[in-house]
Amino acid sequence: MEIKREDIIHLAELSDFSLAEEEIDKLGADLQGIIKYISQLDELDVSGVEPTYQVFEMENVWRPDEVVQQDASREQLLALTKESKDNQIKVPKVL
Amino acid sequence: MKYLPTIGIECHVQLKTRTKLFSEVDNDARGKEPNSCVSPVDYALPGMLPRLNEEAVRLAILAGRAMNCEINAESRFDRKHYFYPDSPKGYQITQFYHPIIGAGYVELPSGGRVRIEHAHLEGDAGKLTHFDGYSLVDLNRVDTPLIEIVSMPDIHSAKDAHDYCKELWRLMIYAGVSYGDLYNGNMRFDVNTSLAPEGAEELGTRTEVKNLNSFKSVERAVEYEIARQTKVLESGEKVVQQTLGWSDATGKTTPQRSKEVAADYRYMPEPDLPPLRLSADFIAEESAKLPMMPGDFRKKFGGVIAEDVLEVLLDYPELMQKLGEINEEYVKSISNLFASVLLAEEKSAEYLNDLPSSEDLTELAEMNEKKELSSTAAKEVFLRLFDPQMKGRGTKRIAKELGLIQENDLGALEAIVDTVLAKPETQKAQADYKAGEEKVIGFLVGQVMKESKGKANPGAVQEILRKKLA
Repeated sequence: MEIKREDIIHLAELSDFSLAEEEIDKLGADLQGIIKYISQLDELDVSGVEPTYQVFEMENVWRPDEVVQQDASREQLLALTKESKDNQIKVPKVL
Repeated sequence: MKYLPTIGIECHVQLKTRTKLFSEVDNDARGKEPNSCVSPVDYALPGMLPRLNEEAVRLAILAGRAMNCEINAESRFDRKHYFYPDSPKGYQITQFYHPIIGAGYVELPSGGRVRIEHAHLEGDAGKLTHFDGYSLVDLNRVDTPLIEIVSMPDIHSAKDAHDYCKELWRLMIYAGVSYGDLYNGNMRFDVNTSLAPEGAEELGTRTEVKNLNSFKSVERAVEYEIARQTKVLESGEKVVQQTLGWSDATGKTTPQRSKEVAADYRYMPEPDLPPLRLSADFIAEESAKLPMMPGDFRKKFGGVIAEDVLEVLLDYPELMQKLGEINEEYVKSISNLFASVLLAEEKSAEYLNDLPSSEDLTELAEMNEKKELSSTAAKEVFLRLFDPQMKGRGTKRIAKELGLIQENDLGALEAIVDTVLAKPETQKAQADYKAGEEKVIGFLVGQVMKESKGKANPGAVQEILRKKLA
């Protein structure tokens, strides 16, 4: 699988990253290397093998539906944001 | 050329759990401050571990069974990635590959069926409010449990689209999985509409109208899209596949952002949530909790309550359950009282929250049948059964206190009739009647009713009068 410049630009757009020109090439090369390394697995015939979704062999990890008072406050949440207004997180206009 | 519309609907239903899907935070943010019902799990601080809410699993099973769906013994969660301020995680936790609810169907009041492709559990997104030049984000709604119900493209008219959405709403409130408050977004509909020439094998290009929150909007949006797409096709152009918004005010759809292709969401298995493996026993046990559904009531009362009345009353599950407790011979008269009296009242919604006992209702129907209460009096007493001051006293006592019990005792009635016939002002009418003027009997009945202060049974009075004047 070949990673093209457009792929990197597309992926960056999806995550709202802005990349400098030289970063596009560098990331493209990095990603190409990673995919090449992973692609070694393609040599194995895994037809009929159940995909591994997780490795802990756990299932049905759930909790009762009861409200627990939270330690983290709204102020702490808002302190993590760049800007806030009226107890909400303020972001550039999106539609 | 004639075109056949084909419609498929995705519906998001907020589940009425106490806590969120993956955190132990209060899920009921109604009337609460913005960002006051949020935990670090919801906004995905590094190292936070989501833990599944067991009740959401139980409610999903009930919702699935309400739609005659298979429940999948094994289901999993996946991450659906997108970048938008309503989701601080940068992804939504959903069930893309292995949903908990499999195929089923919903039966419409008309008898038609809409197949369900599947339904899955997922977390809701935060709420954005747009202002001039900026937007504000409230995360209270993040990870409110949702099930997304995906229909097959089995709908072919705006009316059926409306009926399907309404029936889904009824199923969800009867099953008790959602508050079903559409005004507050408890259920939202995305509607896919396409047109194809009649007889064509393939479906046409579809558009998706997103985020409709009333049955009426669904119906109007589909009507509008059918008309718009017909025009496009008839002018020889092509329908553009796109996502649209709907405005109730203008009655029009308008294009939104371009549709992202599925691969753009970069789905991957959610590594933090182990799979669900539900035993057949667990599924059976939960499924058995499903109460009577609208379809069951249609079967039960089909021959008893008129169809149009039944369809109105079916919007109120507690009322249907109450009617289910009442002896069948009285169901018709009581359901008519609900339909004609209560639903016309301004406070009907309030009243319906606290229904009279089935004993009180039965007694009312009995008294009406035995003519101890006139129809008008029965309506009056019926309303008093909801009156906070009077309810609980019992039907008979209320009727007595209001002086509404009809005089049926023939001896007592005869005495009143005699009094009236002895009065000078009725002499002329009596003579006229005897001379063959039939209609003056109404005047005489009226006089007797007046004398009895409205308690006499007019039918019986007329009979006595005719005998006496014969």
